[in-house]
Amino acid sequence: MTSDNAILKMTGITKRFPGTLALHNVGFDVREGEVVVLLGENGAGKSTLVKIISGVYTRDEGEIIFNGEPVDFEGVQQAQQAGISIIHQELNLLPERTIAQNIFVGREPTIPWLPGVIDYRKMVTDSKAILADLGVDLAPDALVKDLSIAQQQMVEVVKALSNRTKLLIMDEPTSSLTKREIDKLFEIIERFKRNKTSIIYISHRMDEIKIVGDRAVIMRDGEYIDTLDVKAMSMDEAVSKMVGRTITRLYERHYNQPGEEVFVTRNLTGIRFRNVNINVRAGEIVSLAGLVGAGRTEVAKAVFGYDPILSGSFELFGQTIKSPSPDRCVRLGMAFLPEDRKAEGVILKMPVKENLVSACLSKLFPNGIINSAIERRHSERFRRELKIVTPSVDKLVGELSGGNQQKVVVGKWLSTDCRFFIFDEPTRGIDVGAKAEIYHLLDALAAKGAAILMISSELNEVVGLSDRVYVMREGDVVKEFPRLELSQEAIISFAIAKEDDRNA
Amino acid sequence: MHDASIPRRNLLFRIVSEIPGVTYGVVFLAILFSIIRPRFMSVNNMLLIARHSSVLLVASIGMTMVILVSQIDLSVGSVMSLSGVVAAYAIRNGMDLVPAMALGIVCGLVTGALNGVMVAVFKFDYWIATFGTMGIGAGMALVVANGETLAVGSAGFGWIGNGRIGRIYILTYLAVIFLTVMWFVLKKTRFGYNIYSIGGSEQAARLSGLNVVRNRIYVYMCSGFFSAVAGLMLASMGNSASPIAGADYSFDVIAAVIIGGTSFDGGRGGLFGTVMGTLLVRILASGLNLMNILPTWQKAIIGIVIVAILVADVLGEKRKRRRDMMRRYRDG
Repeated sequence: MTSDNAILKMTGITKRFPGTLALHNVGFDVREGEVVVLLGENGAGKSTLVKIISGVYTRDEGEIIFNGEPVDFEGVQQAQQAGISIIHQELNLLPERTIAQNIFVGREPTIPWLPGVIDYRKMVTDSKAILADLGVDLAPDALVKDLSIAQQQMVEVVKALSNRTKLLIMDEPTSSLTKREIDKLFEIIERFKRNKTSIIYISHRMDEIKIVGDRAVIMRDGEYIDTLDVKAMSMDEAVSKMVGRTITRLYERHYNQPGEEVFVTRNLTGIRFRNVNINVRAGEIVSLAGLVGAGRTEVAKAVFGYDPILSGSFELFGQTIKSPSPDRCVRLGMAFLPEDRKAEGVILKMPVKENLVSACLSKLFPNGIINSAIERRHSERFRRELKIVTPSVDKLVGELSGGNQQKVVVGKWLSTDCRFFIFDEPTRGIDVGAKAEIYHLLDALAAKGAAILMISSELNEVVGLSDRVYVMREGDVVKEFPRLELSQEAIISFAIAKEDDRNA
Repeated sequence: MHDASIPRRNLLFRIVSEIPGVTYGVVFLAILFSIIRPRFMSVNNMLLIARHSSVLLVASIGMTMVILVSQIDLSVGSVMSLSGVVAAYAIRNGMDLVPAMALGIVCGLVTGALNGVMVAVFKFDYWIATFGTMGIGAGMALVVANGETLAVGSAGFGWIGNGRIGRIYILTYLAVIFLTVMWFVLKKTRFGYNIYSIGGSEQAARLSGLNVVRNRIYVYMCSGFFSAVAGLMLASMGNSASPIAGADYSFDVIAAVIIGGTSFDGGRGGLFGTVMGTLLVRILASGLNLMNILPTWQKAIIGIVIVAILVADVLGEKRKRRRDMMRRYRDG
């Protein structure tokens, strides 16, 4: 699939991060003036790839030809100078500075006869012209911190476009824009296409892809899968290629009759989610599915008292709670296993045994003095039960593999009397073998009558393990699936916004 | 997408809102002291406060820049001692005044470059790196001076510290010149913009193609330069250099910058606030002096003021952040 008017040609791009192969032998072309949509699940390698193209990361292997010449960017500036701009998924703005200052960061216009002295007036005039040209109604000297998130996102777009850009990369640019702003953005994209600017566009929203895309490149697990013509492709075709892998028997569930309701939310509203009504019964595994940023983790964090609850409440083991705190939740029997286990779940610099007893010190040592014999017996028991692979419980957790670290987190909470568990991305960054063991553990927990709320971006584990699934989209719970109606395609179709129910 | 949701900020409101809160404290203290001790408002006392503020002001310029990129330079006081002692030693051994002072300034630049390279290139923790050079600088000062105060006895050197043009001290002119130049650099030049960008969000700066490493090194070199200049100014006041003269200054310098509203979060604040912070510290000292409160108590009182300001700042900021966050996500 080479073509003569390709502005960007990539072959054999490979990138390794410690412990993972983020990209493996990826290659495709981008033609002049076309919009290539990158499709793939979370973790498929899309963001890594565009960071390599735009000079944020360097590749380990492969070749990039941009504008007819092989390029090897060292840093963002070189890529920018060559004409590649990127709008990152997360906002990269300076809140204390004005819009004009943000648009020109790092390449401010200077007064010709006074090197190094900034021509702020020119900056404002130029910004005004760019903003007006793009039809964005914002004053160049407004401070960025005074803007709404959507407006900030527009500034980010304007910043990227103000460069003399030949290739523009947009990594989920519309995730926090309203309908009207998205329309505006599409107009801008159309205009850029007419000016022969090429665009790589990452989005999960099928409706958008249909509007802006020319060709779709599908990636999965760090590999290039296929290129489809957007106008001709069906959504089902794209989704099945994205999800792709054949599902092996990773999952074994012993479904049992659920017990009483352990956890119920009542119109729970917080930052990034609203009016959430969900429940979990004893013996159940219930999943919160949805795209990154749909508000799943935020629900869990609010329930555990990390983030504020703006309105509504929840019930935990029959107690109504409006303003939770982590220690109160733990006392009531709830455990939260965070996504970022290295930072929040375990203490890497402490041995396995100390991590395992850290959540139940007062239970094991009622008089406040650590008895090392009890500590050892306790931790050896969990090492055996959870099959934690380590030469000794004295080994530092930081030296274990990701899967075994996760088992230590689980063991730590199993030592307590908790009966309600929230798992946030329990298998992120874990290899397949360890995943199966974690799944087995979840099943065993549920079989013993614990209630489990799982947040996962991996649809196959959601489908394979859950009794029920709630799908969230943009802060709302939009669908509840019972086990028998579960399929990855059905979940995705609800997780991705549709044209008719997206209103500004 | 209309401007309606953005707070209206007309020019007057903008000017008022950009005045650091400490300015009101300075005005309040000045009024308070002149009521209690009318002598406080005398021209002579004003000139003395200006002279006493000069050294602190110059030393605080560099620290303001370092804190603006959300780091710190603990070596300021040591560099002050070192540059004074090195210049004094050179003069005593027959060097001319100007090259001797230049030598002192080179000490500052070298220390600054060392700090910058350790922090920016080798990614050492800036507390530890500058803590290390603080020790090296202090030790070197003692070695050069052989543990004694070195009398300089140069008329020219003494004139810098004690001479006046009109009624105003040379030192005050120097401070005003340095401040004006650096205010311009911070507000109007690319280097200044880079400092605010890096402090505001290092990631945003890097992803925008800024050379973060080089700019950080420059910032530390500025800090070393101004510390060295301040050290020379301090030595010139007594026409002698003590190897421990700068030791007290690290505290005052950091205090002046923080009281002036430059935030450790980075990217927020500036030299105007630092001037006000310095004035607050010095006015407090002068007023307490006039009220016959012992110098030993003055330091404690200044410490209490810093803590009070920090607490108020942190509480206010927390409330504001929460409000902002909610506003944004509600209409976002």
